[in-house]
Amino acid sequence: MRIAVLFFVAWFAPLGFAQTVDYARDVKPILKERCFACHGALKQESDLRLDTAAAMLKSEVVVKGKQNESALVSRIAANDGERMPPEGKPLTKEQIAAIAKWIEEGAKAPADEKPEEDPKRHWAFVKPVRPKVNGPPIDSLLEVERAARGLKTSQEADRATLLRRVYLDLIGLPPTREQLHAFINDASPDAYEKVVDRLLASPQYGERWARHWMDIWRYSDWYGRRGVPDVLNSYGQIWRWRDWIVKSLNEDRGYDQMIRDMLAADELTPTDDANIVATGFVVRNFYRWNYNNWMRDNVEHTGKAFLGLTFNCCHCHDHKYDPITQEEYFKLRAIFEPIEIRTDRWPGETDPGVYPKYSYGASYKPITTGMVRVVEEKLDAPTRFYTGGDERNVAKDKPPIPPGIPASLGGKYEAKPVMLPPEAWYPGLKAFVRVEERKRRDDAIHAATQEFDGARQAIAQLVGRMLLQPLAFSEHELADAKFRNARAHLDAAIADRDSLIARIAADDVQYLKTKGDPKAAAQDANLAESRHKVALAKSAIAKTELALAATRRTKSQAAQVPALEKQLAAAKAALATAEAAAKTVSTSYSPLSHQYAKTTTGRRSALANWIANRDNSLTARVAVNHVWNWHFGRPLVESTENFGRSGKPPTHPQLLDWLAVELMDNGWKFKPLHRLIVTSKAYRLASNGPRHPSDLDNVYLARFPSQRIDAEVVRDSLLHVAGELDLTVGGPDIPQDQGLTNRRRSLYFTHHGEARMMFLDLFDSPNPCDAYRRTGSVLPQQALALSNSQLTLDLARKLTAKLTAESNDAAFATAAFEQVLARPHSDAERNSAIRFLSKQTRLLSSESKPSQRAREGLVQALFNHSDFVTVR
Amino acid sequence: MKRRTFLADAGMGCTGLALGSLLWQDGFARAETALAAGKPHHAPKAKSVIWIYLSGGVSQMESWDPKPALTKYAGKTFADTPFADPLKSPLFFKHSRDVVGGTRPYPKIFPLQVGFKKHGQLGIDIADWFPEIAKCVDDLAFVRSMYTTDNDHGAEFQFHNGRHQLDEQQPSIGSWATYGLGSLNENLPQFVFLGQYSDTRVKKNFAADYLGPQYTGVELSLDPKNPLPFAARPKGVLAKEQENQFEFVNELNKLRQVEYPDDEQLKARIKSYELAFRMQSAVPSVLDLTKETAETKALYGIDNPTTELYGRRLLAARRLAQHGVRFSLVYLSGYGEWDSHNDLKNLHAKSAARVDKPIAGLIRDLKRSGQDKDTLVVCCSEFGRTPGLETRDAYKMPTGRDHHPHGFSVWLFGAGIKRGVIHGATDELGFHAVEHPHYVTDIHATVLDRLGLDNRRLNIPGRKRLEIDYGEPIKQIMS
Repeated sequence: MRIAVLFFVAWFAPLGFAQTVDYARDVKPILKERCFACHGALKQESDLRLDTAAAMLKSEVVVKGKQNESALVSRIAANDGERMPPEGKPLTKEQIAAIAKWIEEGAKAPADEKPEEDPKRHWAFVKPVRPKVNGPPIDSLLEVERAARGLKTSQEADRATLLRRVYLDLIGLPPTREQLHAFINDASPDAYEKVVDRLLASPQYGERWARHWMDIWRYSDWYGRRGVPDVLNSYGQIWRWRDWIVKSLNEDRGYDQMIRDMLAADELTPTDDANIVATGFVVRNFYRWNYNNWMRDNVEHTGKAFLGLTFNCCHCHDHKYDPITQEEYFKLRAIFEPIEIRTDRWPGETDPGVYPKYSYGASYKPITTGMVRVVEEKLDAPTRFYTGGDERNVAKDKPPIPPGIPASLGGKYEAKPVMLPPEAWYPGLKAFVRVEERKRRDDAIHAATQEFDGARQAIAQLVGRMLLQPLAFSEHELADAKFRNARAHLDAAIADRDSLIARIAADDVQYLKTKGDPKAAAQDANLAESRHKVALAKSAIAKTELALAATRRTKSQAAQVPALEKQLAAAKAALATAEAAAKTVSTSYSPLSHQYAKTTTGRRSALANWIANRDNSLTARVAVNHVWNWHFGRPLVESTENFGRSGKPPTHPQLLDWLAVELMDNGWKFKPLHRLIVTSKAYRLASNGPRHPSDLDNVYLARFPSQRIDAEVVRDSLLHVAGELDLTVGGPDIPQDQGLTNRRRSLYFTHHGEARMMFLDLFDSPNPCDAYRRTGSVLPQQALALSNSQLTLDLARKLTAKLTAESNDAAFATAAFEQVLARPHSDAERNSAIRFLSKQTRLLSSESKPSQRAREGLVQALFNHSDFVTVR
Repeated sequence: MKRRTFLADAGMGCTGLALGSLLWQDGFARAETALAAGKPHHAPKAKSVIWIYLSGGVSQMESWDPKPALTKYAGKTFADTPFADPLKSPLFFKHSRDVVGGTRPYPKIFPLQVGFKKHGQLGIDIADWFPEIAKCVDDLAFVRSMYTTDNDHGAEFQFHNGRHQLDEQQPSIGSWATYGLGSLNENLPQFVFLGQYSDTRVKKNFAADYLGPQYTGVELSLDPKNPLPFAARPKGVLAKEQENQFEFVNELNKLRQVEYPDDEQLKARIKSYELAFRMQSAVPSVLDLTKETAETKALYGIDNPTTELYGRRLLAARRLAQHGVRFSLVYLSGYGEWDSHNDLKNLHAKSAARVDKPIAGLIRDLKRSGQDKDTLVVCCSEFGRTPGLETRDAYKMPTGRDHHPHGFSVWLFGAGIKRGVIHGATDELGFHAVEHPHYVTDIHATVLDRLGLDNRRLNIPGRKRLEIDYGEPIKQIMS
C-alpha cells in the first residue's frame, strides 16, 4: 500500500494539481458523493465521519501534511478488499490525487465548517409550522423572496388573458366567446371570484384535476399483451377508479380520506363497493407474471406519490441519503404482502367471475363487467428479506420481516386485524345480487311458463284435429314429448327459484342475524338445492327424449338415435344419483358467490393512517407542491417525487409550509386551496413582463409563467371551441384509435403502459408508469398534427359554419379570435386576418364557396396559433 | 446560447417567410451546416446508425457462431459431453433472471439444423442460411459473446433500453443518440423507426421515456401517401392554400412576439412551423425509392418478392442516413418472427432467406458509395436460442430451441468499426458467453462512442442511471 501512496506523490502534479487544492471545491464534493452515505450524518460506520476536516483529523484517518500516513488515502487507493468505497467504481486517479495533495498541503479547511445536518432534521422530515405572515399569505411570502432579489412584479394580466388562464387551469377548457363577453362586461368587484367559484363547482373541474392526480397515481388501463389479449399489468375495469377520482375531487373529498381509500378502502369501508374501487391505486401496480414486481411497485409508488420519498433505493441496500434501511423497505413490502386481486359483480352487469390464478402458458382476457379491487388472501404470507434486489437471493437465516414503517420518519403504525362484515367477504349476500339472481329465476320461470302454455295448447289443438281425422303416431309422440319437456323445464325453473329462496333464507339466518334455526335453515336449503338437481336431471331426460322423438320422425336422422339413447341412459343414471343424494339431508349448500377471507390484517389501513396524518411531515407538503405546480407550471420543490436529502430544497420554504398547514386545517380539501391560489395577486400577473437578469427562469414569479397547455387540454380545447365536445362524464375507457373521431374528453381514452393516443403523445401526454412531472415540448410534429389532421380541419369547418352570422371578414375575424383564442385581436392582427381572407378567397376562386373556405382556413390557422397551445 | 440567437434572428425577421428559399434541398450540403442540439464529447467516427433488428431471438449456432460440437454430441445431454455442464455453471444463475416460466434448462443437445462454412480471408464460420452476408464477412465485426438477463421477450426491449423488463424503464439507445447529438438535418426526424408490427410493445424499442417526445423514434411508412404521421395535407386542401396558411400563422405568431419578446416557447414554436413545413416535403422526397436505379434495387433484392419488403426498408434506411437521419431502427422481421420454439429448421431458413440478400445489399451499397465511412450498421436480436432441444408437453415431436439469454451474437459494420474480426466467444456448446462477455449496453456504449458520445456523460438531472445502463465500449472492435 505504501508503494501506491508514493506513486501518487509522483504524479499528482502532472494531473493538474500544480495549484493549491481547494478543499471545498476539489475535495469535499468527492467525499460527499462517495463517502458520506456511510461516514456522515446518516451513518457512521466504524465510528468514522468524513463530513468535516476536523472529524477526519480527530479520527486520525487524515494526518496533516502526511498523506502516506493517512488511512483515508491508503484505503481509497487500495486495490484489494480494503478498497473504499467498497461499492461502485474506485475513485479516479485524479480524485485520489486531489485528496492526497490536500492532505500534503496541510488538510486546510474553513474554520466554520459544519458537519452534515442530522438526517432527522432534514427540512422535509420536520413537521411544517404555519409561518407568521402580515397581509395576504401567498403574495406576502412570494414578495419576501422577490424583494430580497430586487424583483418587481409585472402588471396585472388583462381580463381576457386572466379568464382564459383560470378556465384552462381549473376545468381544462377555454371560455367561449359568450363567457368572455359576460366576464368583460361584468363590472362587479367580485366578477373574477364568481367565475372561480363557478368553475370549481363545475363537473369539468373534477375531470381536469383528476387527470393531474392520475399522473401522480400512475393511472393505467390494463396492458401487457394487448394484441393477444393478455392482461399482465393493471386490470380490466380499472376505469371505475378513474371515475372515483373525478367524483371525489368534485365532491371535494379530503385528500387524507382519498389516500386512506386508495390504500385500504376494502378494510375501511368494506361494504361500499363504490368506494372500494379506490383501491385501483394498488391494482394498477399489479403484474401477473411476477408478484415481487407488484409488491415493489406498491412500495415505490406509495412512497413517491404520497410521501415524496424514493423507497425504491433501499430495495437493494440501505438508503444512501435518507434514514431508511433495507430492512425497513421489506417492512413496507410486508404491509402489501397479503393482497390479491378480486373481481366483483356490479349492479346491472354480468358476473365477471372469480379472479383466475396464473398458470404458465395461459392468457387472460380483461374483464369487461363488474369491478376490480384488492382483497387480502394470504394473511400470513411471510415477507422474506433478499439481497441485491434479486428475489432469488433470500437471506435464509433471516426470519420473515414483520410489517412496519421507517422508524426515523416518526409517526405511528398501528395495525389491528379487521373483522369484515359478511357482505364484504361473501358478496353473494349483497341485496342487489339477490335481487338480480331472483329476477333471473323469475324470468326463467316466465319463459318456461310460456313454453309450457304453448306445448299445452299444441296438445289441445292436436286433440281437436284428432276428432276430425286420425294422426300419425309420431306426431302424438312428438307433441307429448314437447309437452313433457316443457313441463320438466318449468319444474326445474321453479325448483331453481325455490332453491335460491331457501339458500337466501339460510344465508339470512347464518350470516345476517335473521332469527331462526341455522341448522334447520341450512338443511332446508340443502334439500331445496337437491330438489333442484333432481328437477334438472328430469329436465335433461325430457330434453333427450324430445330429441329422440324428433329424430325418430325423420329417417335421415336415424343415425343419431344410438347416441341419443346413450345420452338418455346417462341422464337417467344422473337422475338416480341425484335422487339418491336428495335422500341425505345435510347443512351444506351452494353459496351465492365465492367466499373470501373473513378478516384482513389492517396493515394497509395502518399505513394509510400514518401517511394521511398531520403528524406526517411530508404528505401535505408533497400534495401542495403538486397543486402549486399545476397552477403555476413550476413546483416549489423541483423534485416533486423526492423530498429526501438528495432532492431539491424548496424555493419558497415558508410558502410551502404555509400552504401545507392551510390544506390540513381545511380538512385536506383542495378547493379552498385552489381558490386561494387563483385569487392571489401572483396568479393574476401578466406573463409578458421583462425577464429579470437576476431571475432569468422566473423562479420567484415576478410575472406569471406562460406554459404549453397539457396534451389533453389541446385536444379538448379544439373540440370545445368548435362546440363539439361531448361532456358525458365517466364510463369505460374508449379505444385510443377513436381519438380523432370520438368527441369525449381525453381522459376517457385508453391510456396504458404499452401505448397512448398518438395525437396526445405528440403533446407530451403522461407516461402512465412515471409522470411525477410532465414536460411541455415544442415539436414540428405538433405543427403537422394541428395543421394536417382531419380533426382540426373538420372542427374548423364546424366552427366556421357556426359563425356564419358574421357578414363581413372583419367581423368574422373578431368572432374567430374571440372564440378560438378567447381574446380580442389587435388592429395588426385584424388587418393580417383580412389580408389572409382576401388572398385565400382569390386563390380559391375556382373552388366551391371560396370565401367560406378561406374562413375555415383562418379558423384552422388560429388553432395553429402559438397562443392556442399556450397559457398566457 | 447560439441556438437562442438563431431563434431570435429567425423570429424577428421581416414578416412572412420566404418559404420557397427555405425548402429543403437534396444532399448533404445543408446538413453540414445544420444546428445540433448537443455536441459530441469527442471526435466522432460515425454520423449515422442503421440498427437492424431481428425480433424473436436468432439462433447463434445457426447464424454467426456455428458449433460443430452440437452435431457431434446430438441427442446426448450436456453431462455426457467432455465439456463442463453449462447448467451447473454459476453463470447460469447469475446472468438470467426469470420473468415467467422457469429457467428453461433443456439439457439434451439438439444438432445444428443447417451446415456452415468458412468464409473470407479469416475463414469465419457462417451458417449456410446466410450465403450473401457470408460473402461480406471480411467487412464485419462479430461479437460472439453477448448475454442478456431476461429469458423472455422483454429482452427485446431490454436490448434497446438496457433494462430488464422487471426494472424501471429507460430511454432507448436511439433516443440517447439523438438526445446527445441533435440534428444533422432539421428537415428530417432524427430518430426513425422503419417497420410494421401488430404488438404495440414494439414501441418500447424507440421510446424516449423521460427524454421526452422529441427524442422518440418517429414511425415512417414506405407508403408514399402518408410517410410520416400527419404529414400529408388533408384531402382537398391545395398546396398553395396551406402554404399561405402557414405563412399567416407565422405572421400572427410574430405579431405576438412584439408583446412577448422573451417567450422562448413562442420562438421555438415559430421555428417548429418552419421545420414542419419543410419536413412535410423532405420526408416523402427522401423515402422516394424511385430515384434509385434498377441495379441498386436489385442489390437489395427489391426485384424479388421474397426480399422486396425488407430490401425496400433497408434502401430507405440508407437514403435516410445519407440525408442526415441520425438513427434508423429498421425492424427486419415480424414481432417475434425468429422465435422458433419448434420447427426451427424451416422457420429460421424462411426468415433468413428474407433478410440475407437485403442486408448484404446494404453492406455492399454503403461500401461502394463510401457511405460506410460515416454510417454504422448494427445487426442484432434480443437473445440466442438454447443449444438443447426444447421439450415441452405441447410438442409431440420437438424440433426447436427455446430462448437463450446466456450467449448470443451481434455484428457491426461500417464507420469506426474494424473489418473482419471476431470478438469474444461462447463455450464449445454455444451456451455461455465465456470470453469477453458483453451485456447489451456494451453495444450501446460502442455505438455512442463511435458517434462521439460518452454514455456516462449522458445524464438527466433527477434521473438515476445505473452502472449497467452505461456499459463499456468494446474497444477491441473499434478502429
